[in-house]
Amino acid sequence: MSSPGPLSLLAACLLPVLGAFAVDSARVGLWGVGVELVALGWLARDPRRSVKLLAFGILAAISIFVSTYLYGGRHLDESAAAALRIVYIVLPAALLTPVIQPAELGDHLAQRLHLPSRPVVAAVVALQRIESIGEQWRQVQQARRARGLGPDNGVVRRFTGLASTAFAVLVVSMRHTASTAVAMDARGFAAATQRTWAGPAPWGWSDSIVLGLGIGLSLFPWFLFPWFF
Amino acid sequence: MLTQVSLSIPAGQRVLLAGPSGAGKSTLLRAMAGLLLTADQGDFSGQVLLDGDDVAETPGRVGLLQQDPLAGVVAETVGRDVAFGLENLSVQRDEIWRRVAGVLAATAFPYPSGHPTAALSGGETQRLALAGSLVLGAEVLLLDEPTSMLDVSSAQVVRDAVRRETVHRGTTLVVVEHHLGPWLDFADRLVVLGRGGRIVADGRPDEVLRRERTTLASEGVWVPGLPAPEPNRIDEGVVEPWPLEPFTSTGVRLGNTGGAAIVTASGIQVRRQAHLTGGRGTQIIALDDVDAALHRGRTLGVTGASGSGKSTLIAVLAGLLEPNSGDVMCAEHLGPLRRRRREPRPWKWRSAELAARLAWVPQMAESGVVSSTVFDEVMATSRAVGRGEGSDVARTHRRADAILETLGLSHLRDASPYHLSGGEQRRLMVAAALVHGPHGLLLDEPTVGQDRATWAAVVGCIASAQSAGAAAGLASHDLEAVTALDADPLRLEHGRIG
Repeated sequence: MSSPGPLSLLAACLLPVLGAFAVDSARVGLWGVGVELVALGWLARDPRRSVKLLAFGILAAISIFVSTYLYGGRHLDESAAAALRIVYIVLPAALLTPVIQPAELGDHLAQRLHLPSRPVVAAVVALQRIESIGEQWRQVQQARRARGLGPDNGVVRRFTGLASTAFAVLVVSMRHTASTAVAMDARGFAAATQRTWAGPAPWGWSDSIVLGLGIGLSLFPWFLFPWFF
Repeated sequence: MLTQVSLSIPAGQRVLLAGPSGAGKSTLLRAMAGLLLTADQGDFSGQVLLDGDDVAETPGRVGLLQQDPLAGVVAETVGRDVAFGLENLSVQRDEIWRRVAGVLAATAFPYPSGHPTAALSGGETQRLALAGSLVLGAEVLLLDEPTSMLDVSSAQVVRDAVRRETVHRGTTLVVVEHHLGPWLDFADRLVVLGRGGRIVADGRPDEVLRRERTTLASEGVWVPGLPAPEPNRIDEGVVEPWPLEPFTSTGVRLGNTGGAAIVTASGIQVRRQAHLTGGRGTQIIALDDVDAALHRGRTLGVTGASGSGKSTLIAVLAGLLEPNSGDVMCAEHLGPLRRRRREPRPWKWRSAELAARLAWVPQMAESGVVSSTVFDEVMATSRAVGRGEGSDVARTHRRADAILETLGLSHLRDASPYHLSGGEQRRLMVAAALVHGPHGLLLDEPTVGQDRATWAAVVGCIASAQSAGAAAGLASHDLEAVTALDADPLRLEHGRIG
C-alpha cells in the first residue's frame, strides 16, 4: 500500500477537533486519546519532532488543568476532561504534521482541490522558509557569539540576547523574503497565472483509510464511545 | 546609485559587465530584469525595453541569477527547486523531469534530485541557482557573479555549462564579473561601470582591453594578464592583537611566543543531519579525521572544492562548532581562567571570552550584521569585550577609523550595513573582525566580490594583522589571496585532508 498523501493527513489532523467538544469526562478523554494513538500512531514517521510538538500541547493541557482546577470549583474530573480535550486536538497534529511535505501539500491543494495556484505556491515557499528559519537562527547565533554578543552571561543577558537574536533573524528573513520574491519572479512566477506541477496528486486506498480514521475520531467521543460503553 | 546609464544590447549578444565594488552592477542587472521595484528602495527613472516592450510587462523572457544564491532557494529538494521555473512556464510533468535531469547533468551537479537543499554548501547552492536559471531557456539571461563562490575547476564546469546551454539557443547574456579572464573568449562585448554609476568603457573586449587598460585597472577591474595587486598593508599598530587582561598583569606577553600554535585541531570529525519532512534525511560527514593548526604570524590557507568542508573547518577553529569527535585546543596561555585552571577548548568559551581571542568572518556576510550603522558595526565587539570604554575608547576609535579608511568604507560610516553592496558588506565583516584586536582571525571567503583595489585592501589588512602577531585561517578558492598571504596550504577533499 502506498503511503497516504498530504490531504488525507491534513484532514486527520483537523477532524478530531470536532470530536473534542464531546470530551466531557476524564474517562471519555483517556479512551479518546488512547484510540487516537492506536488509530494514527502507525502513520508517524518522525518521532523526535512529534514528541517536541506534543510537549507544547501537554504544557498547554497542564496549564488548563491547573487553572480549571483552581478557579473552577476544584472538580478533578472536569479539569482532567478540559486538559484531555486539548490533548485530543493536539495529538493528531503532533503525529501527522511532521509527515506532510510542503511541496506535496502544494501539489495536492492545487491539483486535487483546485485552489488557485499563486497563493498555493506562496504558502509552500513560506512553509519551506519556516524550515530554513532554524538554520538562519543558528547562523545569526554563531555570528553573535563570535562577536561577543552571545547570550551567556546571566539571566538578563540571556533574555536580551534571545530578543536581539530573534530581531536579527526577523531582519534577515525579511531581507531574504525580498530577494526570494525577486528570485521567484526571475524564474517566471510573476507571469504564471497558469502553471503545472512537477509532482502528481494521487488519491489512493491509504488516503481513504486515513480519511475514514479522521472521521471516526471526530465521531468517537460523540457517538461511538456512548455506544460501546 | 546609477546615473544616466543607457545601453542597447542586440539579441544574442554576450555582454560582460565589470566595474568596482559598489558601482551598481547588481542594481543595473535587476533593472534589466524589470525587478528593480520588487526589492529595492529609492527612485527609479528611465525605462528598460525588451523588443520595444517594457520589460516589467513581459516577465518570463528574462532570467536573473542573483548574487546571494541562498535567498533563491524555494524548495526542499534539489529537483523541486530546479523544476520551479518550468512549472511556472506550464511545462508538462514528464518534460519537466526530463529537463531537470538534463540540466543537473549539464552542470555536473554532484547530487541526485532528491537531495535536500538544506544540505548544500554555499558554492553548491550557487550551482543549484544557476541550474534553476539555465533550465528555463530564457531569451535573456542575466548572471550576477555566477562563479564567485566556486573553486577553479567547478567554475570552469559552470562556465562550460553556461556556454553550452546558451550558444545554440542564441541567448542574450549579461554576466557581471570581477575576473574577466575566463569569460573573454566567450564575450562579444565588455561594458565597464565606473565609480559613481556611469559607463566608462564599452566595446569589443579585446579593443576595450587594449585601449583602456589603465582606466580599467584604476577602476579596479581584474584585467587579464595583469598580476594580482600588491596587498595594501595597513599600519600594524591598528591591527595588532590586543593584550589579554590576565597576562598584562602577570607580565606574560604574547609577543614572546613567535610561530607557536594558538589553536590546534586534531582528528576532528563533524557530522551534520540534513532533515527533510517526514523524518527522511541525510547524514553528512562534513569533516573526517582532520588535523589543522593556527600559528602566530602565519596564515592557514584552507582550499578545496565547494562542499569539501572548508566553512565547517573554519567554524570549528573559530570555536563556533563542537566537533563530534577529536579535540580542538588553544595554546595554554590563551585559555580563559576557570577556577584554578584554564579552559583550552574554544567551543566551551563564553561569548565575550571567545570574541576577545578569536574573530570570524562568515561566508554569508549579511547574517553577521549586528548593528544599525557601519561605525557601530565595527565597534560592537570592542564594546562587548570592554574595550570601548574609558582610556581604551580613543585607541579603539583610531583603529576603527584607520581600518574603515583602508577598506574603503569611511564614506559609509553612518549607512545601514544592510544597504551596502555584497562586496562592501563582506569588507565590513572583515573590518568588524579586526578592530578589537583578536589573536586568531578566521575568514570564510573574505575576497568574494572584491575589485582589485578592495582586494588589495582586504588581503593587506590580513597580512598586516599576521605580521603584527595574529594567527589567520582562511577558507578560500581565491588562490591569489592564498599565495599573497604566503599561507600554509591545507586542501580538503570530501571532508578529508587531500
